[in-house]
Amino acid sequence: MSDLVVERSALPQVAPARKPRGGRRTLTAYLFLAPFLLLFVVFVVVPAVYGIWISLHAWNPLLPVKPFIGLTNYLQLFTPGSLTSGDFWQSMGATAIFTVASVPFLVAVPLLLAVLLNQRLAGGSVFRAVFFAPYVLGVAVIGVMWRYLLDPQNGAVNAVLSFFGVQADIPWTVDVPWAWISLVGVTVWWISGFNTVILLAGLKGINAELYDAAAVDGAGAWRKFLSVTLPGLRPVMAFVTTTTILGSANMFGQSFLLTQGGPGTETRTVIMYIANLGLSQNQMGAASAMSYVLFLFLALISIVNFRLQSRRGD
Amino acid sequence: MKNGLVRRLTAAGVALAVGTALAACSGGTAASTGGDVKAGGYDGPKVTVTFWNGFTGGAGPQVLKKLVSEFNSSHKNIAISSVPMEWDDIAAKMPLAVKAGRGPDVTVVHGSDVATYAAQGLLLKADAIAKTLKMDESDFPSGLYENGSYQDAQYGLPWSVTPLGLYINKDVLKKAGLDEDTVPTTEAEYDEALAALRAKGVQGEWVDPYFFTGVMEFQSLLWQYGGELYNDDVSKATYNSDAGVKALNVMLDRIKQGDSPAKVAQDGDINALIAGKTAFNWNGIWQTSNTALQSKNWTAAAVPQIGTEKAVWSSSTDWAFVNNKGQDSNKTQAAGVFVQWMNEHSLAWAETGELPATNSVREDSSLVSKYPNLKPFLAELDYAHFETSAPGIPSADALLNTAVNEAILQKKSPQQALDDAAKKADLQLQQNKQQYGY
Repeated sequence: MSDLVVERSALPQVAPARKPRGGRRTLTAYLFLAPFLLLFVVFVVVPAVYGIWISLHAWNPLLPVKPFIGLTNYLQLFTPGSLTSGDFWQSMGATAIFTVASVPFLVAVPLLLAVLLNQRLAGGSVFRAVFFAPYVLGVAVIGVMWRYLLDPQNGAVNAVLSFFGVQADIPWTVDVPWAWISLVGVTVWWISGFNTVILLAGLKGINAELYDAAAVDGAGAWRKFLSVTLPGLRPVMAFVTTTTILGSANMFGQSFLLTQGGPGTETRTVIMYIANLGLSQNQMGAASAMSYVLFLFLALISIVNFRLQSRRGD
Repeated sequence: MKNGLVRRLTAAGVALAVGTALAACSGGTAASTGGDVKAGGYDGPKVTVTFWNGFTGGAGPQVLKKLVSEFNSSHKNIAISSVPMEWDDIAAKMPLAVKAGRGPDVTVVHGSDVATYAAQGLLLKADAIAKTLKMDESDFPSGLYENGSYQDAQYGLPWSVTPLGLYINKDVLKKAGLDEDTVPTTEAEYDEALAALRAKGVQGEWVDPYFFTGVMEFQSLLWQYGGELYNDDVSKATYNSDAGVKALNVMLDRIKQGDSPAKVAQDGDINALIAGKTAFNWNGIWQTSNTALQSKNWTAAAVPQIGTEKAVWSSSTDWAFVNNKGQDSNKTQAAGVFVQWMNEHSLAWAETGELPATNSVREDSSLVSKYPNLKPFLAELDYAHFETSAPGIPSADALLNTAVNEAILQKKSPQQALDDAAKKADLQLQQNKQQYGY
């Protein structure tokens, strides 16, 4: 105990004068970063490197022998007619369809809602809460709930439609294109509230004087939106677009619960396929290889996305 | 001084991380072939035996609870701790838990998983305990006991069987002017009933494109037409035969003739039967304990013979002793006593809507008098086909589910769907053989 006290009081006198202040500062910064760095190394860097190693093997975690097979797992993905290539690229395609179909809505709908909520209207905070509410539910909850609601034969949605005289045997969860419409619709309903709140915060940050100035220059509502609102939202939009694209590209739960990947495997996303292959079928090697190919695609898309956003920013 | 410490700590951290990675790379300990469960009783110190099972629905939990507490109170030095969880969760959690030494001591698994688990070194050989129980293949429906073996050793001891049957909503038959007590047993009778229902605007049998129950019906029909899922050594898929195409066409015709909607949701078939929208449903014996069904005027029967021979799909469950890392042999020994006791008391299991696997228990006349709904399923066991047993087979089976889904939803022709699945299944089986070395 006393040793510690002595040492601590002695430290500033012994060390300070000799060491340049910059070095101390760097050390302090590193010490503050250390806890996160440790977590980062243990849970991100090590698994990422280890995953590359796994992907070079026929890796069944339950078997004692895990033969090294070089790049076979990767080559299989690019060999038509192999066990994994057809399913992998089809699931990549499904993920692409979902991402392309969902991201525009997941950005445009929240933008519209945010602009509306940004008006001084009575009960604004109530609406904000209403739109945000679905987001607090887990994917398991919304998946099971909508599976009941969208059931082609016994679901409430078709029942309501038939009440209004619309053809009422729409296979919302069973067949395409309806399955895609359901998946996108449910996701938009689920996630929009979150994006709305972020965009709303961005809108609040735009200087009101800019609108006044625009009004003096004779700008109408549309012109103000294009010339003041959108440029003002740029950094926030970059964040929302990027996280939404990555979120959509990682879609798993909605397909798993609503459509079970069907019809056939048409709505089976790549994450769903990789998870099944690696965790249920214990083919960790092939699944790891697929993860890296997916990672390359997502990295590429993110780079392009950032480039576009920053160029606009200039 | 401090910088040095940081550097050393960093170095130590990196070394630790690399070490962990390398240790994991070396693949850990070899999967032992699994020791034996010794025969005889247990008279060691008091132990708690962990028992994982998937009996979470219907009457299962209550019946199991009663049996376990009865066992616990009559065995002073053994306490069974039953851990019910979803079947899928067991399949997902057990392998890695066993490798980490944290799995159960004894479990009930699906018959189709036994060979895979055995090949993965997760199970102990149960030959000795089977001998004590005087169990052999003659005690069970044909083919069942063999399904629990792998490479000449017995790993699974059959516990229950769950065949498909024909469920009938009698009120729907009556409304269509049919005799509610006449059960169709042949293709002609079944077609006649469907036609009569059609004439009254009733869709007679809803065809479901999912594993529950479309794939089960497909497999029943495949066998009825003399087809097989795989060849004898499970190296090739054979369901893309004429028999397979015929089976799918029978199901598709139900849709084309107006006996079923085209895009039925999962469980839409049994829900329609309960709601009185349809008269027939091919469904598993577990539906006999479906509470929603009990308020209806229903009956169950053997599935009709549509093809050239009698055949029906059935699933099964098996007892298995678990080869945990560092497994306590006392616990395994005590688990053996538990399994033996459960087998002697398996008549009570019928209350769950599953048939006890042991012939003598099913032949006990009190079974039918106590559970009359199960009666039609008993005769089916003479010609029931059980799921294929081979390491890694679930991966291949899943491909058939996709094919049936694609064909019933008319995304592909029956031949095309089955050919595509069989081609992929052959590659999968080849990989299984290579990986598991069977």
